[in-house]
Amino acid sequence: MAEDKPVILQGTLDLMVLKTLETLGPLHGYGIARRIEQISEDALQLNQGTIYPSLTRLLQKRWISAAWGASENNRKAKFYSITKAGRKQLAHEARSWERISGVIGRVLRTGTSG
Amino acid sequence: MLGWLRIVVARIRGWLSGRHADEEFARELESHLEMLAQENMRRGMAPEEARRTARMRLGGMTQISEQHREMHTLPLLETLVQDIRYGLRTLRKSPGFTSVAVLTLALGIGANTAIFTLVHAVLLKPLPVAYPEQLYNLGDDQNCCSLGGSQDSFTLFSYPLYKEIRDHTPEFSEIAAFRSHVPRLSVRRSTSDSFAEPFRSQFVSGNYFSMFGVGAFAGRTLTPADDEPGAPNVAVMSYRTWQVRFAADPSVIGSQMIIDRQPVTVVGVAAPSFFGERLVGDPAELWVPLASEPKLMPIGTHLNDSDDYWLYAIGRLRPEVTPIQAQARLKSEIQQWIAARPKMSGYRPDELEKMVLTLTPASGGVRGLQMDYAEPLRFLTVVSAFVLLIACANIANLLLARCTASRGEIAVRVALGASRGRLVQQVVTESVLLALAGGAAGVGLAFLGTRVILLLVFRGAEYVPIEASPSIPVLAFAFALSVATGVIFGMAPAWAGSHARPAETLRGAGRSTTDRSRVPQRALLVLQAALSLVLLVGAGLATESLRNLENQRFGFKTAGRLVVRVDSDLGGYAPERLPSLYQELQERLRAIPGVQSASLSMYSPMERSNWADPISIAGHPTPPGQVFASSLNSVSARYFETIGTRLVRGRVIDERDMPTSRHVAVISEAFARKYFPNEEALGQHFGIGDATHAGDYEIVGIVEDAKYIDAREAAYVTAFLPLLQARENNSNIFHDIQLLVAGPAENLGPVIRRELASVDSNLTVIRVTRFDEQVAENFNSERLVARLTTLYGLLALALACVGLYGVAAYTVTRRTSEIGVRMALGAPSGSILAMMLRVAMAPVMLGLLVGLPLALAGGRAIASQLYGLKSYDSVVLGTAVLVLLASSILAALIPARRAARIDPMTALRYE
Repeated sequence: MAEDKPVILQGTLDLMVLKTLETLGPLHGYGIARRIEQISEDALQLNQGTIYPSLTRLLQKRWISAAWGASENNRKAKFYSITKAGRKQLAHEARSWERISGVIGRVLRTGTSG
Repeated sequence: MLGWLRIVVARIRGWLSGRHADEEFARELESHLEMLAQENMRRGMAPEEARRTARMRLGGMTQISEQHREMHTLPLLETLVQDIRYGLRTLRKSPGFTSVAVLTLALGIGANTAIFTLVHAVLLKPLPVAYPEQLYNLGDDQNCCSLGGSQDSFTLFSYPLYKEIRDHTPEFSEIAAFRSHVPRLSVRRSTSDSFAEPFRSQFVSGNYFSMFGVGAFAGRTLTPADDEPGAPNVAVMSYRTWQVRFAADPSVIGSQMIIDRQPVTVVGVAAPSFFGERLVGDPAELWVPLASEPKLMPIGTHLNDSDDYWLYAIGRLRPEVTPIQAQARLKSEIQQWIAARPKMSGYRPDELEKMVLTLTPASGGVRGLQMDYAEPLRFLTVVSAFVLLIACANIANLLLARCTASRGEIAVRVALGASRGRLVQQVVTESVLLALAGGAAGVGLAFLGTRVILLLVFRGAEYVPIEASPSIPVLAFAFALSVATGVIFGMAPAWAGSHARPAETLRGAGRSTTDRSRVPQRALLVLQAALSLVLLVGAGLATESLRNLENQRFGFKTAGRLVVRVDSDLGGYAPERLPSLYQELQERLRAIPGVQSASLSMYSPMERSNWADPISIAGHPTPPGQVFASSLNSVSARYFETIGTRLVRGRVIDERDMPTSRHVAVISEAFARKYFPNEEALGQHFGIGDATHAGDYEIVGIVEDAKYIDAREAAYVTAFLPLLQARENNSNIFHDIQLLVAGPAENLGPVIRRELASVDSNLTVIRVTRFDEQVAENFNSERLVARLTTLYGLLALALACVGLYGVAAYTVTRRTSEIGVRMALGAPSGSILAMMLRVAMAPVMLGLLVGLPLALAGGRAIASQLYGLKSYDSVVLGTAVLVLLASSILAALIPARRAARIDPMTALRYE
């Protein structure tokens, strides 16, 4: 088995992309990928290409929108930004994530102590 | 839910944007790569190195694009569209194959669609009324024509009985009644002095339209108030009649018509789609209330007689009641009512006890055509399915051949990793495409075919309330049938093709003389030959049976004879005026140039009319528990001469037989055989009714047996009375004129009408028909079956031969090099010809072996419908076998001769 490379759940990546866009505002694909890598302190070594399916999915659900713009060094790039529906979804997902991770955490703790 | 829908919408949009979206995504990835590379360069990498590392960080570009594409669009549709495009391209590339296939399918699907159009119209389609599924016939409407006496299964009602059940059966929200047979009444507008014309006029109860839930197109429909005694005379006209006979003249509504001398107000036009309570050719044109029956048909009115059973009834069952409950309730009601009659309507107590009453669904109305055509249509459905099967086998064979030809291509695709599922999908898509094209053409053929079939079914009818144009159910049927057909005939080649073994095929493309597709190909040919034989035998049997029916000894002659049906409204005539009227009529008719003989009668043979009554015979008391009965007819002088019935002994009815002279009768041979088996019939006496009448008529002549009603049964026991002497049942009023004409008879119609009108303006000609046509109309359903089975049988034969030819020609092509070798080694061309014929005919012979028992079984299934021949008629079987053999030899001969003419040098070079 690959050494402790965390398996990224589909939904997890979506959630991270949404959160990134909420925090940083409009970003292109490269920016999003970089940001996720940085935040996770390079614990998530993903092929940067894998964020594109996630972006497509989010676009289709209309949680994010996309527009072509100019990057910092004046290149054409596609910028993604979170939509109103996306923010609502993020809040909702974050809540349930916390709840679930809390529950799982508790279960795991009782498991070790008991 | 909404999210799901959103994704589909997004995907469809993505799919529509197609290549543009792909390019955009490629640009996006490119810019991503660029940015990665720049960062790498900032970290000090050389440009080349930077780009390489960037590519690794991003991951496989192709996979990402592919994945994006898959998510972005509709993959299933995508491949389907691909297959359709590919299929259309290959079909376009081989126009010969495509047109043969489409034509074959069009014939097969068209044949089925035409029959289904009829099945739908006649058997499946409900009446155009409100909630037809709630309607029930009170009885099983098999019972016709019996006015009095007990009914085996209660179906006919008298008017007083109808009123009783109408008012006391709460299980039905409404019960309506109407005449069992629609009479023709002579109608003319009172505003002009135009001719009176016969209109099919149905007498109906006042709630008839409200029971059906049918409204008026203009004016109003009938109401219960119109059906009260003493109410003013009113009528509702059918939409078609208003359109056709009165050119949709709005002044007709509210105007007065003269119907059999009575002024009647037309109060409205019924809804356009409504044609009455039954599906028949020439449906009712006018609806009048039952209450006006005594005024409009004063001769033999039934309305107020409790013991005259002449009405059918349909009721609308309340939704919460089951038919069984309503049936039990109705039955006991009717039994009580009859038991309370003084004469019990001719029922014996034990008969009344055992009375049967069955509620039958009336969503299709009173069964008219359904009764005659249910059986033939089922038969024809099977026949047309066979034709389609044969067509399918043909296409499957063509596709198989093509698959074998493209084995190399398929092998390459399999070798490159195409999945079998994908290959099958592609072949099936192509065949469904073909089938749909064939189906579309078939619907067109079916439209034409249905019109022809309707002409066959309704021979003699002016108007048929059936649309030949394809309706939505018919189109749906054709579509479903096409798809199913495509899948069926596509399966075999798809299977054969997808089992190609790439390695083998690529190693020695097309060298072998045997290949895998041969087995299914032969099997299909066997199937085709067997089915064709079954159809040919069926066609032969049906045609022979019809011929026997039409050319049997009827006991009358039709050649050169005309029958004129007359609405003789002679209600006002005093009986003593009839002799002079009849005499004048006969003289005038005989004076028409070309007319050799003219006679009058109550009815004529094969007109679907009959009058039968119990009789008593002098000196032969009726044994208890038995009934002596006979069919009866009243005829004028020269009747037998005019219709060509031969006198056996004694004399015929002639000018001597006046109202005041001795009452005489002429009987049929069957009458003499039945009632006077061992004695002389001439000079005996009989009468209509009980023993007090036994001496009424003296038998003065015996004529040969003639069929009047059922052409399949032996002639009925019949007695003929002089028109002027007959009294019972208004039998002294004539309704029919027979004319024996020398030379052309077609154009006599107007002359006859003129002569009749000049004698009395109340004599309305209903129709002038050739006698042979009148007889032929009795065999409409037999003719339909015979003609269509023949047509479909020949179609099947042609298709099978085309199939055989195709396979044989293909075999020759594939074996060209082998034949070349054989000929180079000295085989004479005669033996090559024989060999190719043998190969081609083997499946046909096998098909005959399989088909013969099938044909025999099929014959047994229709044996009861056959007339004058056995289901295993050897001439029919032999002919069918010969026809099949001869045409398949012909089909195989063409390619076989080509094989025999192969030039060995060319053949070997071709290798």
